[in-house]
Amino acid sequence: MMKPLSQVALLVLLLAFAFAPFLVNPGLVFLAGFALIQIVFALSWNLLFSYAGLVSFGHAAFFGIGAYMSGAALKYGYDINFLLLIIACSIAGAIGAFLLAIVVLRRASGHQFAVLTLALSQLVVVVIGYSSFLGHDEGLSAIPRPVINLGLFALDLSKPLVNYYFVLVICLITVGLMWVLVNSHLGRAMRAVRIDPERAAFIGIDVWRIRVVTFTISGAFAGVAGALLAPWGQIVTPDYVNWLQSAQPIFATLLGGASFFWGPVVGTIGLSALNYLTRTYAGMSEILVGGSLILIVLIAPQGLLGLVRDLVRGRRGRAE
Amino acid sequence: MNTLHFYALFNGLVLGMAIFLVSSGLTLAFGILKIFNFAHGAFFMIGAYTAYTITGQEASSLWVFLGAAAIAALVIGVVGIFTDLAIFRRLANVPHEYTLMAAFGIMLFCTGATRILFGQDVHAIYPPIAIGGFLDVGLPVPLSVYGMFIIASGIVVLLALEIGLSRSWYGKVILAVARDPWMANVSGLRVQRVKLVSVALSFALAGLAGGLLMANQSLTLDLGHSYLLLAFCAVIVGGLGSVRGAFIASLVFGFAESFNAVIFPTMPGIGSYALLILLVLIRPQGIYPELSQ
Repeated sequence: MMKPLSQVALLVLLLAFAFAPFLVNPGLVFLAGFALIQIVFALSWNLLFSYAGLVSFGHAAFFGIGAYMSGAALKYGYDINFLLLIIACSIAGAIGAFLLAIVVLRRASGHQFAVLTLALSQLVVVVIGYSSFLGHDEGLSAIPRPVINLGLFALDLSKPLVNYYFVLVICLITVGLMWVLVNSHLGRAMRAVRIDPERAAFIGIDVWRIRVVTFTISGAFAGVAGALLAPWGQIVTPDYVNWLQSAQPIFATLLGGASFFWGPVVGTIGLSALNYLTRTYAGMSEILVGGSLILIVLIAPQGLLGLVRDLVRGRRGRAE
Repeated sequence: MNTLHFYALFNGLVLGMAIFLVSSGLTLAFGILKIFNFAHGAFFMIGAYTAYTITGQEASSLWVFLGAAAIAALVIGVVGIFTDLAIFRRLANVPHEYTLMAAFGIMLFCTGATRILFGQDVHAIYPPIAIGGFLDVGLPVPLSVYGMFIIASGIVVLLALEIGLSRSWYGKVILAVARDPWMANVSGLRVQRVKLVSVALSFALAGLAGGLLMANQSLTLDLGHSYLLLAFCAVIVGGLGSVRGAFIASLVFGFAESFNAVIFPTMPGIGSYALLILLVLIRPQGIYPELSQ
């Protein structure tokens, strides 16, 4: 019904990101790249929330695993192709998520699950604080940008333009993979588990296994997002692992609309814009983000996209 | 037992009581609203700032200190009434994922508001002379008087809540609404008003904790976080909604933290998380499980 409209909107968004380096100043391009990374992160969280019905408050742990792994590998000059490094980070994120899932999902649900994931992600922060290899509380800074040798040609990420398009392409591939995933057989099984675990079990879906698999996949994508952050931001600190970072995808998803695949994308862009516009007022961005979160939950739990859908439907209804 | 272990024991007890002061309000709010109030730490912090505004860097006497804590409790309690009327009341039929996020939103909002109202400076606050210093009571180490004051406050709050909830008439009404709001409504209790009172009480406890615990540490915007995570752990392990469970679990986590500092001084903070994982795996429903529904 609103297919053509959303397709046009998606195309405009894609074009805006594709031509961003030619349209706006380098500062905003940096934020755009950052938003792309957060989009991947938010979408990976929403895989858990909208498709498996699990609310994790500790998703930044897997993001942090990816960011620290790629940051350390680049900083200490391990000779490894960056594309392989991204894959390695996603595997590390997946392993972390898998371990957490088999421990936590066995016993906890609902509130216990939310608080446990939060506490366990803080455990990662604590462990990072011990390690001088990972730079204690200061983190890793001055991370060099790698040159990727692809056989026929090499991508030098220290060039800003190459770096931006590299991040854009990897993010598009990741988003595409998630899109394929949620529309696959597995994606439908995940949704069945969220809507009614009992009935899903009744028709032969192994609920526990689906949840663990979703958690693992989600951790893998969060790891990719983290891996991209290290060369893009050139600094990785424990702030990227703590619970406020875990809250970012939650805000983004809610703001955009949790029941839409593209909801976290809209939400992340909205949040980035909000942070950019209030960057000079200390405390103002927190008030605005917190306030809009409360308003969204109270007034429009379907998020911005839900509001748009209702508006479009309302107008169609009147026209008929 | 050497001096170091004795210190750890005393500090653990003090820390445990401090955690309990924060977790008591949290568990009370959960018991009645079924909302896990992420914003509790933020109101704790605002309580501390309110008390600081009254007393300044060092309260002139114990009574001023206690009075400031009481005023902080009152102010935050009133804030709680408004929060319930404006937000929590409307969240009654919303899935719990969304209530958690709304509470997160309140927390952010409060942090931002505090940043604007009180600035970003770090304030050092000392306890008043009456409860400052150390006291030698014949034990191997002199004990901090302020620490003993915290222990006493924790015990007073525990007794007040336990006796108030299980012995007084209104406490029983609160427990009835917590257990089954629908049935309580049918039998003629004013459920909304009882909820309002409990939320105000829970917030007042946060404000009181802020006023009592603000001394001997620097007052910053991160103040809420330091106790909040431990209080979360205590509420989960104690059994959501149980004051008694929160008390026991708070002490357990207090001891875990302080003995961690003695036994693994190079790895601060790992003990309580390891303990949390262990305890939740052994007993996910908590020490005193929630009884409603």
